[in-house]
Amino acid sequence: MEQSSIPGAQSTATEKVIAFLDDRVGLKQMQAKMLNEPVPGGSRWAYVFGSVLLFLFLMQALTGILLMFYYVPTADHAYASTQYIIHEVDYGWFLLGYHFWGSSAMAVCVIAHMSQVFLWGAYKKPRELLWIVGLALFGIVIGFGFTGYLLPWDQRAYWATTVGVEILDKTPVLGDFMARFLKGGPTPGQMTLSRFFVIHVMILPAALMGLAGLHLFLFRVAGPAGPFRGTSDEIKAKTDYFFPRQIWKDIVGMAAVFATICALAFWEPVVLLEEATPDPGDYHPEPEWYFLFYFQLLRLKIFSGEFGQLLGAVALPVAFMVLLVALPFIDKDPERNIFKRPIALVSWIVVMVTMLLFTVAAVINREFLD
Amino acid sequence: MQPKLKSRVRCADREIGEVTKVVVDPLSHEISHIVVSMNGSGERQVAMGHVQSVTESLVELRVPSSEILVLPPFKRDDYVTTHEVEISHLEEKIHVTPGEVLVPYPELEKNVKRRTFFMNFTNVITFLIGLPLAYPIMRYLMKPMYAPFDNAWLKVGNIGKIKEDDIGVQFEYKKKVKEVYMPEYEIEKNVWVVKATSALLDKVYQGKDLEFRDATGTALWTNKKEIPFVAFSGKCPHLGCGFKWRKHKVLGRVFLCPCHLSIFDASGKVLDGPAPRPLDVLPVRVSVGGDLEIIEMEFKAGTKSQVRII
Repeated sequence: MEQSSIPGAQSTATEKVIAFLDDRVGLKQMQAKMLNEPVPGGSRWAYVFGSVLLFLFLMQALTGILLMFYYVPTADHAYASTQYIIHEVDYGWFLLGYHFWGSSAMAVCVIAHMSQVFLWGAYKKPRELLWIVGLALFGIVIGFGFTGYLLPWDQRAYWATTVGVEILDKTPVLGDFMARFLKGGPTPGQMTLSRFFVIHVMILPAALMGLAGLHLFLFRVAGPAGPFRGTSDEIKAKTDYFFPRQIWKDIVGMAAVFATICALAFWEPVVLLEEATPDPGDYHPEPEWYFLFYFQLLRLKIFSGEFGQLLGAVALPVAFMVLLVALPFIDKDPERNIFKRPIALVSWIVVMVTMLLFTVAAVINREFLD
Repeated sequence: MQPKLKSRVRCADREIGEVTKVVVDPLSHEISHIVVSMNGSGERQVAMGHVQSVTESLVELRVPSSEILVLPPFKRDDYVTTHEVEISHLEEKIHVTPGEVLVPYPELEKNVKRRTFFMNFTNVITFLIGLPLAYPIMRYLMKPMYAPFDNAWLKVGNIGKIKEDDIGVQFEYKKKVKEVYMPEYEIEKNVWVVKATSALLDKVYQGKDLEFRDATGTALWTNKKEIPFVAFSGKCPHLGCGFKWRKHKVLGRVFLCPCHLSIFDASGKVLDGPAPRPLDVLPVRVSVGGDLEIIEMEFKAGTKSQVRII
């Protein structure tokens, strides 16, 4: 056995246990390494989003596991079991509401996190892979939203899935296969619910954990990008380690997000519509709010007809993602200051304003439908 | 050259001790200070700015020893070791370890070819484990994807419900579904039926009977062009939402899909919006008692031509 760090005669039982573990695992060095990461230019509130996303995911995992204690993923019980969680189980409404609003919070924080990396020019060399893995994580978060939306098996769920899968169906050559594969048949039913459930609770969490681990690893290899302004002396003078100041800001960020989600779960509880069925009745199908802009976009004249659909349902989202993936290889200028990258700044504003306008348009359109 | 541990340190006037530690800047990865053990009188932290030259075993400072002696003692607690901090690529930049430390491969594995062989062998076996799994897994997952069409007639309601010509009337009906292992359950579906005047019928059928065939090409049913009852599948041909009969400010009474705002006239023709083809007409027949029956069909949304999926 190792000769090092033999506990002294006076050490307490706790110290002995810690020393025992440290000898075998190297805990102290690991902890030190996790906490002692230089943050160029010092800690900032702007840097909290990555940690907040990790926190959000852990909370989604926790609330999701708890929901599974009562939820049954079958076409004849999914709706009833979800109603049971909301109306009968103590604090079921809260955990479900938290999970529901947590997913929205995740969408918001992902957009904030990505925007920030984009505006800070932090995707540039040597952080290209970090950016690309981040994009994959973005895709996973969207996948979580899409698959989770079906699980309550109400009308909202059914129609969002119907339309969402039809969009996938528009992929050339493979579309029909992919759509049937995902649905487990020609139309949404039990097989769809089973598949979405497995994807939502097993495949995506595993993928997310793996990729988030890779993301963090790559982040640590490359190191934080730091501010885009200031001389190296100024940055050096303000440099901090991750612990304690950044961790303190992160935890405050997490608490703020936690409080917001709790408040939403409390004041805007989840209310299910009628049970899912292929007859929409009076319901006007609509996706989750963060997909509304895209929903509204597909209403545009330019996306009409078969070719227009290919354009809107496949070409547009694929081109957008490809552009994001290629970004660090297209934009090789080492300049990171956003105020000296007019194309980047204007593009970001255009994308954000478009999303905002189309979301607002979708909301306004609701009134004219009845 | 970087200062080495154990190097002697000489000031402008005399030798003062040896290098015991080096301090690295976390951002630039450059050595910023050396820590000098002062021959028994404590340690001092000396900035690299004071260093005039570095050789294999000697660090020469450009200041007199008195200036070093007045520096405050080195505070070890203000630092962590390189093992306790996360700075990548540090070891590539900083060479403080005297010489490389090597560990030999086991005697048997010294042959590079041999190790390459084992590596390839491992990859091949991994592939051979994966290969027989791929096909069964795909088949396993594909099992429910394709189902035969159900061409049975289904009663959806009575034509007594239709009070006016050329108007969309929704017939909601329940359908028993038996999906694989699930107990039989009912789902609600709907079709839209228009009792068409002959002018509208002309628009729908364009003067020709409409023939329906099953997957093998056998004739199933023909909608005669003079039968006034036209049934439309309740699924919007754009992206599969359920459309409704609505009053439009400009276009009058139309079928409107609330999802992406496709608009169709009573004959199913696209008036506005993104739908790529008219509403899907279904096989329809009316019994003597006025019961309306259909063969339930669903077509793929978003295509110009009809592709039946149910």
